[in-house]
Amino acid sequence: MVSITNAHNDLIHDAVLDYYGKRLATCSSDKTIKIYEVDGENHRLIDTLVGHEGPVWRVDWAHPKFGSILASCSYDGKVIVWKEENGKWSQIATHAVHSASVNSVQWAPHEYGVMLLAASSDGKVSIIEFKEGRTSTPIVIDAHTIGVNSACWAPVCYEDVESDSSKPTKELRRFVTGGADNLVKIWKYDNDTQLYALEDTLNGHSDWVRDVAWSPSVLLRSYIASVSQDKTCVIWSQENNKGPWKKTEVQQEKFPDVLWRASWSLSGNILALSGGDNKVTLWKENLTGNWEPAGEVQQ
Amino acid sequence: MSIHHKDNPYQSSTFGKSLSLKVDGGFNAISINPSARDVVLASRQGLYIIDLDDPFSPPRWLRHETPWQVADVQWSPHPAKPYWVVSTSNQKAIIWNLTRSSSNAIEYALHGHSRAITDINFNPQEPDILATCSVDTYVHAWDLRSPKRPFYSTSPWRSSASQVKWNFKDSNILASSHGNNIFIWDLRNGSTPLSKLEGHQSSVNSIDFNRSRSSEIMSSSNDGTVKFWDYNSSDNSKSNKTVQTDFPIWRGRYLPFGDGYCVMPMVGGDNSVYMMNLNCPTEEMDNPENTRASSNSSRLQPIYTFKGHSDRVIDFLWRSRHSYDTMVDDREFELVTWSKDCTLKLWPLADILYDKVNFERNKRLEEKLPNYEYITYNREVLDSLNSNDNDYKRIKENFVTTSGLKNMNNVNHLNWLSGVRMNDQHSPDNLFEQPKLHNLGEEVSAIGHQFPKVVFEKISVSTGEILLTLNGPWSEINPDEYIFLRIEIQVPPKYPNKGHAPKFKIEENNNLTDAKKSEMLNKLNEIGKIYTDAGLYCLEQCLHYLLGEKVSMDLEDSINEPLFYLDGADSINFDNLSSLSDSNETIESIESSLDSDNNIFSDSYREHPEARNTFGRNLEFDSTPVPNECGAIWTPSGQLLCFFSSEKKSAKKVKNIFKLTKDNLMIKDDTIADPRVLFDGDQVKGSDVTENRPKIYVDTFSGNDAKSRATDVTTDEESDSDDSFGSFVDDWNDIVGNDIVVRTRIPTLMGNFAKSFGSVHSESVKTGDSSKITKNIILIKDFSMLFQEDKRLGEEYVITNKLADEMARLNALVAEKYGYEEISHCWQILSDLLLAERDQSFSSFTWNNNPLGIRWFVKEALRFFEKENNIQMLAMLCCVVANLLLSKMGPADVYNVEDSYKSLVTFELYDEHSTWPNDDHSQLSGANTIHSRSDSFAKSKLLNSYDTHSIRSDEISSLPYQTIGNTRLSTGRPSQHRKRDSTIGIQTPVYRRDRVAEISVELIEDEILETFKNPVRDILDPEDVKKCQLYIYQYAKLLFRWGLPYKRVELLKVSIKAISQHLQRDSFGVDDLNRVNNNTIEIKWVSSYAEDKAVGNCNYCNLKITGSMYVCGSCQHMLHTRCAKEWWAMGNECPSGCGCHCPNQYDRSS
Repeated sequence: MVSITNAHNDLIHDAVLDYYGKRLATCSSDKTIKIYEVDGENHRLIDTLVGHEGPVWRVDWAHPKFGSILASCSYDGKVIVWKEENGKWSQIATHAVHSASVNSVQWAPHEYGVMLLAASSDGKVSIIEFKEGRTSTPIVIDAHTIGVNSACWAPVCYEDVESDSSKPTKELRRFVTGGADNLVKIWKYDNDTQLYALEDTLNGHSDWVRDVAWSPSVLLRSYIASVSQDKTCVIWSQENNKGPWKKTEVQQEKFPDVLWRASWSLSGNILALSGGDNKVTLWKENLTGNWEPAGEVQQ
Repeated sequence: MSIHHKDNPYQSSTFGKSLSLKVDGGFNAISINPSARDVVLASRQGLYIIDLDDPFSPPRWLRHETPWQVADVQWSPHPAKPYWVVSTSNQKAIIWNLTRSSSNAIEYALHGHSRAITDINFNPQEPDILATCSVDTYVHAWDLRSPKRPFYSTSPWRSSASQVKWNFKDSNILASSHGNNIFIWDLRNGSTPLSKLEGHQSSVNSIDFNRSRSSEIMSSSNDGTVKFWDYNSSDNSKSNKTVQTDFPIWRGRYLPFGDGYCVMPMVGGDNSVYMMNLNCPTEEMDNPENTRASSNSSRLQPIYTFKGHSDRVIDFLWRSRHSYDTMVDDREFELVTWSKDCTLKLWPLADILYDKVNFERNKRLEEKLPNYEYITYNREVLDSLNSNDNDYKRIKENFVTTSGLKNMNNVNHLNWLSGVRMNDQHSPDNLFEQPKLHNLGEEVSAIGHQFPKVVFEKISVSTGEILLTLNGPWSEINPDEYIFLRIEIQVPPKYPNKGHAPKFKIEENNNLTDAKKSEMLNKLNEIGKIYTDAGLYCLEQCLHYLLGEKVSMDLEDSINEPLFYLDGADSINFDNLSSLSDSNETIESIESSLDSDNNIFSDSYREHPEARNTFGRNLEFDSTPVPNECGAIWTPSGQLLCFFSSEKKSAKKVKNIFKLTKDNLMIKDDTIADPRVLFDGDQVKGSDVTENRPKIYVDTFSGNDAKSRATDVTTDEESDSDDSFGSFVDDWNDIVGNDIVVRTRIPTLMGNFAKSFGSVHSESVKTGDSSKITKNIILIKDFSMLFQEDKRLGEEYVITNKLADEMARLNALVAEKYGYEEISHCWQILSDLLLAERDQSFSSFTWNNNPLGIRWFVKEALRFFEKENNIQMLAMLCCVVANLLLSKMGPADVYNVEDSYKSLVTFELYDEHSTWPNDDHSQLSGANTIHSRSDSFAKSKLLNSYDTHSIRSDEISSLPYQTIGNTRLSTGRPSQHRKRDSTIGIQTPVYRRDRVAEISVELIEDEILETFKNPVRDILDPEDVKKCQLYIYQYAKLLFRWGLPYKRVELLKVSIKAISQHLQRDSFGVDDLNRVNNNTIEIKWVSSYAEDKAVGNCNYCNLKITGSMYVCGSCQHMLHTRCAKEWWAMGNECPSGCGCHCPNQYDRSS
């Protein structure tokens, strides 16, 4: 078990391993991002990235085929893209379309190209595509009034047009956002207009939605987990990428404290929830479709 | 605070005036002191005592935080116990003694009901007797001299009680309403009802005894009727009279004077209170044709309607006054309403109304009216006496409450002031709409919001005293330096009339020279005089001057300049608010400015250090959520990456509770306030563990004031941005105060702040209290045991090069080795079934659908592992079945040939540019980018041990899909079978003549033989086929993440191929789907892949191309030069089957 203590001078807000599990990026209220090399039980600090002017909320590694690239978002309203070349990290792009804190940033599935999704407290989400070294004009969507707290891409999948085989199947590019209006919204890319349109609005929380996570495994149904300040976690599921979203609460009673973060495992759909009680709980769907606890981590 | 005590109701400044008081906080019940001076409001947060004579002074807050809405609150009507207030707290009734300190005010808690209490009523005759009724159907009567248990209990068993009332004359009689019925009880009669009044069609919401005719009772119901009964009459099952209304009635009560009654709707009815005369004299004449009405039923005929609330009225009360010891009835009344729109309104009664309800004023009285001491309980009581003997007086019950805290008066005074509107005219409607200043209180609240940097230490509107501190540029030596000033303003009562200018006093100060001071005073007096002479409010101008700004002495200007704050509310600019100001505005810590006088406000500042600096600096709006302090993120390999802060729990306790709802922020039109209950939900638990969290980032700063400052000190040189955090953070804290009252006026406030950004500058120093460094920890824990998928299995599972049954058996062993019994069994059974399948001949296929058959088993297994989310098993099952396809093909020569061909085909080089000429351009360019980036990635491979080969294998992995695309293209031809024929024929000319013809003619048309030859179709339900492909793709991804790229390639090579082949044979639709699926993946990869020519295989012989080759310039397919010669000698289409006529397109020597 790897354990790193006092990596930062202030609260840590995110820590992500890269594609191969070799490098760890952490970010913190101390405005820095730190890169660690993790090898078995050992770890070594490689670099500290300084550039944000406010606490850094989230970081995300790009798919390795694009290079060793990291995106970070911060309270200062910026998204910075960092790249490592010859062991040196540098900023290769700064994305500053938001007028308030950017609360989450995520790379799109690599099949879509080099594309970033950022969610901000100014109520907007933005999608930035990097093409041949330049950045195209970002698409900015008004998603939630008051603020967007989290946004997450759906895994690559395809619209099922079995009924009419003459039409080519369309790629189904979607993402989900959760905001301070207590709603979860699903957005879908329209190939014709090249814009994202609201596909569905899910209303199931009584307080701010803090995080949304779309399960990366594409089995029979899509799963979205949304966690909220109202101390609940809702699993939204949709059969075969169409039809209504079904709401399931992870547990009937409320969690002991507000929930901050949800994370799906790459396979097997195990959900890790973390919240204000400084505890991590794991959840798993049983054969009857209910969610049952699968473990707990405490500091 | 208040110096002069008004102990006479006739000196009241508010009686006879309309008044509107905004009180946020979800108050649900109201009651009035018998002396009619104070009202009490009750909510989940506790009680507010509001002095109606001094509405500008903040309420006294008796904290009692419960998750239950307060159903009722009653002030004792007896002169003997004027300090008793009883409120409900779910199943308990709480008796508050207001002469005690707020922290110790609970005198008794009556606990006798098992469910929520719905109503409380004091006995009108006996000061110590009261009755409660509850959802548990019981009615209890209590004697507070022995509060342990009720002395009388009764229940009609059937339905829960909604109201209980004592008879005004006979103190043994009480009535309670249960469902649609009303029961009259006599204490001496045990629990047999004296009478049962039936007749309402829906549940009764309110009952009231007549004050003068003791056996008469009125009831109001959801059915929209008011019924009047006389329970002593012979036929008591029938009401005397029924009045029909258009709305369900929430409350209906007799007037305390004359012969009238008031009703109030539950919903609808214009949110008004209606006043009626009991003996509606015109009723019969109005409805002569209405036969039903002629007897005892009539429509509602109000003589007056109190209209003005924007949401439903929660309750109404009568405020009254009369002279002491008088023998004539000189009572005067005023209606008090409390509405869901969070406003309390006073409605003076016009004299004509008294006449209309036959109230004879100045009538000789038979007995004196009770005298009440005209005092207020609004002031906090400091009871040194009680605190000593707390031990026995404190209720032992464990209330979920924080009422033990001292210092209740932390309601933000400025916000409170801004909610008070008063008017002299009897024109309530105008009053509530016009945004004009009406009095000093409104002026102070307006300027308080306009000058966030001015700290109001003391505001006493009733006495006209204001004490404020600010920083102004009044230094002799350095004009840029701001010095701290403390100014006392005495406002005369007749302000702002001519000749009543406020008096200013500037406190002695080292930095302020006497000359400067007198200059300032002169100027201030001048301003005050000019403005008040014109009848205008002058404080705003004086403050402008004190802050060093220019003040216009020309009144024209100032009139044009809107002084009022409501205007600002409409123009909130969120963008403006949310951007961080980078000005160097910093703050002054005011510890030094607080001296130890005894006024309440500075007291509260001292004891709540986080609540100091009211409006000391600018404010920003920011909806950034409070940051997470811990988190857990899955790594691809099934480990859990957790990070925690090891900050002590205690540090969090300080945090404020602040629930800012969406509606709050969105109200721009402030004139109609949102009635939302801010403290709904079940947020407050009061215990240490579940203390409520702030939601907004800036709040955490205020909560963890010490901490955030500490980090400033320890980590920061460039403290600009942090300071501005800190400053607006503190503001938020101030505004929000403590748990209480987040006013819907916050947007107003912010609007003003936004406007006044940067208008004032001040100097400051920030101090860090401690230098504690937050500890944190990152852990990576292995949770791979939670997953069905196991990397070790992935490593050892056999994917290819074996017969299906052997594979299954080997895999069973692998699973067993790692202790997966279930999976091992599954493999075992599959192995047996496959073996049977192989050994059996033609007749076996018919048994496949049998519950013991293989097809059934595979289907069930897939279903099971789908539920289990075991992608590994799903993919492996599919893989084995696919292998079966390949192995089954073995015996038949034709398939064998095709198979061997196909298995070699795997690494075909295939360029999508020509294959899919329709691909949109962006995808192509995207591919280019990817290529260049992967290039750079390769440079960093030193850091990642297997980067290079993983990239490579990723490229490889895309190939099978291309193959599918390839085969699918061929299906464009009219007949599937014919196509296969031709392919085989062309590619394996050796076998072509003698065998292909034979099969295509005779066997393919035979259904049974077809089935036999294509066993996969039987083993795999066609519906599952495309799912299988998805599973395999997913598992392949997983294998790759596990660092098993070779396994991945094997898997894709065998399975995807076989299944797609099967699909192709099986259904066009599915194939179509797959083509496009894979198309996307393929496109993204091809560029980088095409770079590496070495991967390419000859399209003819399927061997790797080395050395000289032929590449078609159009379709990019490659051939060995040798093969090309051979091929082009026979055919004229590309051997890949893409349909390209290569030699015609381009010069073949390229």
